[in-house]
Amino acid sequence: MAATKDKISPFLDPGPCTKPNSLAILQLSRDNLLPVYLQVPSGEHDGYAEGAVVNTRFGSFPHSTMLGVPWGSQIRASKVDTGSRGRKRKREMTDDPGREGTGASGREPEDLAGAANGDSVVAVKQAVADSSGFIHILPPTPELWTTSLPHRTQVVYTPDYSYILHRIRARPGSVLIEAGAGSGSFTHASVRAVYNGYPTDGQPKGKVFSFEFHEQRYHKMKQEIADHGLEGIVQLTHRDVYNGGFLVDGKSPEADAVFLDLPAPWEALPHLSRRKPQTSRDTSDPTTEAGWVSPLNPQKSVYICTFSPCIEQVTRTVSAMRRLGWVDIDMVEVSNRKLHVSRERIGLNLSSDRGVNNSPRDVEEAIARLAEIESRFREHAGQPRRADDNRDSEEEEDQPAKKDDFGAKRDVNFAEDQSSSSTPPWMEGRLITRGEPEIKSHTSYLVFAVLPREWTEEDEAAAAAMYPCGMEQKVIGTVDKAARKQERREQLQQVQKGNRKARRKERDAKLAEVSG
Amino acid sequence: MHSTIRPNAWVALKLPSGITKVIQITPNTTISLGKYGSFPANLIIGRPYHLTFELQDKLPNENFSRLRVVPTSELYAEVFADEASPSCSTPAVGASDSIISIADGEEFSLVDDKGNVVARSNREVIDDSARQTLTQDEIEELKRDGSNAGKDVIAKLLLSHTALDQKTSFSLAKYKLLKTKKYIRRFQVLPIDVASFAQWQLEERDANKILDMRAEMIGLVGCWGNVHFAGEDVLLRDPNAAMDQGEEALLPVPQEPLRGRWLVVDDTCGLLVAAMAERMGVLYPEESEDAASGKTEGQNGESVDQAQQHPHRPKDSGEVANEVSKDNGDTEMVEADAVPSASKTDWKPKQKPRPSDFAIPYSQTNTITVLHGASQANLSLLNYWGFDITSPNHPPHPLLNHLMTLTWLQLLKPELDSSYSTPPPTASAETLASWKPSRRGNFHRKRRRFARIRHIVDTTRAGNFSGLVCASTMDPISILKHTLPLLAGGAPIAIYSPTVEPLAALADCFSVARRTAWLSGDVPEIADLSVEELERWPGNERFPLNPTLVQGTSIQTSRARHWQVLPGRTHPLMTERGGPDGFVFTGWRAKPAEGKVAAKGKFKRRKVGSEGTENSSMRAEVGVE
Ligand SMILES: C[S@@+](CC[C@H](N)C(=O)[O-])C[C@H]1O[C@@H](n2cnc3c(N)ncnc32)[C@H](O)[C@@H]1O
Repeated sequence: MAATKDKISPFLDPGPCTKPNSLAILQLSRDNLLPVYLQVPSGEHDGYAEGAVVNTRFGSFPHSTMLGVPWGSQIRASKVDTGSRGRKRKREMTDDPGREGTGASGREPEDLAGAANGDSVVAVKQAVADSSGFIHILPPTPELWTTSLPHRTQVVYTPDYSYILHRIRARPGSVLIEAGAGSGSFTHASVRAVYNGYPTDGQPKGKVFSFEFHEQRYHKMKQEIADHGLEGIVQLTHRDVYNGGFLVDGKSPEADAVFLDLPAPWEALPHLSRRKPQTSRDTSDPTTEAGWVSPLNPQKSVYICTFSPCIEQVTRTVSAMRRLGWVDIDMVEVSNRKLHVSRERIGLNLSSDRGVNNSPRDVEEAIARLAEIESRFREHAGQPRRADDNRDSEEEEDQPAKKDDFGAKRDVNFAEDQSSSSTPPWMEGRLITRGEPEIKSHTSYLVFAVLPREWTEEDEAAAAAMYPCGMEQKVIGTVDKAARKQERREQLQQVQKGNRKARRKERDAKLAEVSG
Repeated sequence: MHSTIRPNAWVALKLPSGITKVIQITPNTTISLGKYGSFPANLIIGRPYHLTFELQDKLPNENFSRLRVVPTSELYAEVFADEASPSCSTPAVGASDSIISIADGEEFSLVDDKGNVVARSNREVIDDSARQTLTQDEIEELKRDGSNAGKDVIAKLLLSHTALDQKTSFSLAKYKLLKTKKYIRRFQVLPIDVASFAQWQLEERDANKILDMRAEMIGLVGCWGNVHFAGEDVLLRDPNAAMDQGEEALLPVPQEPLRGRWLVVDDTCGLLVAAMAERMGVLYPEESEDAASGKTEGQNGESVDQAQQHPHRPKDSGEVANEVSKDNGDTEMVEADAVPSASKTDWKPKQKPRPSDFAIPYSQTNTITVLHGASQANLSLLNYWGFDITSPNHPPHPLLNHLMTLTWLQLLKPELDSSYSTPPPTASAETLASWKPSRRGNFHRKRRRFARIRHIVDTTRAGNFSGLVCASTMDPISILKHTLPLLAGGAPIAIYSPTVEPLAALADCFSVARRTAWLSGDVPEIADLSVEELERWPGNERFPLNPTLVQGTSIQTSRARHWQVLPGRTHPLMTERGGPDGFVFTGWRAKPAEGKVAAKGKFKRRKVGSEGTENSSMRAEVGVE
């Protein structure tokens, strides 16, 4: 069911509504996402009369109820008949929110094709809405995919890849080399960044050249690229890049940016040179300098990022980079925190809902209550005893507990008084933010660097001939005080001379030069 | 873009002190680096970015400094030496009465022409030997910054420690002295792209102006906003309205506006717009121009020079974007013509028929629509990419067809906005012909302006935007109140704020408690509202926003910590920029189902509640059930 070539990836243009055989992300709850390839129902499927069904603990959702709806739609659960199916597949019914119906990623491709074509056309049962339960259906984006994709390796998450892609200047039209592809998390984010159309008639377009040497992962990824309509803009090669380098079909991808998520980036770095590196590990390599092809764009500076969890890897990588001529080497570590927002409801006069802490909100409230308890206690307990002056000490010690009993009773009354007041419970208390219970405190170290383009003596001579020196008219940049004063004086004179129109023209002319 | 440094490009010069200078490289000028010296701009034009140049001493017959490209073997000579000897000496700290004033920890090393370090020394050694072997005059010379003589003296000192000077004839030419930061006259030229510009603006210029938006935040907002190239331009046909036709001849607004349009609120003076435009491929001029000029540069100057002899000015251009013909920019241009400037070759007029006044220059997809609170959008930082929003007569720039701006008044009460509601002037062909050119120009300009404002306002109001991205000083709740109805289902929302409080208040509008209450059917004020009315819920105190319109709300913050990586001395930097960390709110525009919808799995919630009485009982989680 590979997306046809003329179809744009749902990641790049999902269209207004959900489509058959295209990826959709079901949001079951905030962090519970389920990727699904929606299928047109064509008869009983897997024991369901409604066709393919997604089962979750939020209810059952036949694909038919999720097709052709606007993205973002809230989908009600349906009542489905699990009768025969339940008997047939009992052992597979688990409490887990069905990694079932996950589509191509979880099934054999033939299975899907069969379901979509459906030669045996049986009447499809119309789904009936259930009384409760719902999910939302979202268009696929790299962010949603990253958290819902079938993990085969460690993956690069949004906080890291968003920063990396920004810093390695992955933009529409860029060519990016990535190794290894792993589970494809970074691949999806990077292809969105470099996408500037599908290549037609040999016109160069932004593209991701991805490499993976693990055979099964390679095949899984290959399938995913097809399923997601990314063929032509992601090119996956099955290779060990340490030994094989980055050329594809012997040709240079002419990469502008590189991302290495490999155990030993320094093994791959020599291949990412402008010329055959002298320090290449395989000195026995008979390839001559002349026959060596660089996988990099010869016209531009190339940006790189390597992603390694250990500091020892960083040390070796940085050392290799220095020897291979990379500059602006910069190592960072990105730490990301999610914040939960909640209402901290503390106070004696709040409802006793779940989540409310019925202790004093502040000192005043505490004092008020203590005083109240005190007076009630006197009122209540004091009277019969007033005549009897010789209370013993045991009784004295018992008192605090008794006092609190009065307090508690009083509080309930108080809260009941308040419940009729105007503040709804969701607006009570103080708004607070706090971190997640568990944070990812380390993902990996990111090493960034730049490899300037090569600059030969001939290049320099040509540039020097084109931009000869010796006709300098004024000084720009940091100027000393005297020069700056002089410049300001001249500017002022100009302003006085020219009218606004002239100034505007001047600015336009300047802009024209810049934008050209 | 950015293959070589082009004439008149804005670039960042990175100086040895770590300071960055952002300047426009005007041909035939002298670039001054202050105390580091100065050099002709033409020595870097046409050269690659990221190389390290070193200012050289003036040749006897020349009155300017030439540049030398410093090979990386030299840049890293000291590190390589350290790697070779792991027991590297710790630099002297706190030595007093230095003869040469150098910062603590700085070292000098002497390198031969193959890049091998022949001698290394820290300040102490230099100070000592200087005291022994130098005359007072020499010391004075030594103290003078950047002077070659000073360099020679240090080199001499170092060499005297190696015994090399006795064997070989004393030939300094064979050796190079490497000095650390303060003294070395080196610099690097970096392209002005969003990443480098933002960093400079944040760390060296005025962080306030960009709401302290760090690189981490720019990346997050762009990704969570799903901002990307959205497809080839789609242009509307020219309605070819006659001059005596008014409003009625305007193009109708497309029923279902295309996707690939992002709605933006930008109080970062245009940095956010620049970042988005970069992601959408509409910030830099066409790649092909670059490639073309790159080629010419690579061969010889001739073909470019030829083009220079026929410079075309905007007055010949029939571009829609150029409203007023340019008659008199000549003085400037003539001067500039003396310079071989590749950029001007791009000024060839396209011999297209001039579009009519009501033609719409904007693409229908891959666009940025900016909502602003002042009468003019402040996008001044776009000037660094050659775009000036205030210029009525703009030379070609991709943003011209992809960036639209409108005020909140135009969006919400267009009838109160005179430029929207004042009908366009009309005139018969004869009347028009009888007018002076200036009056005619004015007439056309007014009509064009009217058609564009109408188009922008009406298409924006028609909604169906693919995403909302904000970095604003305005309350995000009020922004969402008016923009949520304009977002297509499933559209991402990404809102940056330097501080967390406004975003927390926003997230609270979508708390589980609020959502549950809203869906409970016990909210009298929404009882009889239709789906459309609920989508445009004006908000009240209890429900500032319709809590069911946003799904998957989340707030996050990111921080990149920088490290020094050196042999035996790898550690995180000791100090970094403080100030606001920056936070991002994310979510998706949801399309709630009609009628009452109850959540399943209540049992689950209760279980969670009872389990977590000790630690989570004091708060009601905000978010999606
Ligand atoms: C941590 S995973 C990459 C995860 C990926 N960046 C993502 O976001 O999903 C590393 C991958 O590199 C692959 N790999 C390791 N060494 C390789 C080599 N020499 N050539 C190609 N791939 C390699 C591994 O098979 C593994 O799949």
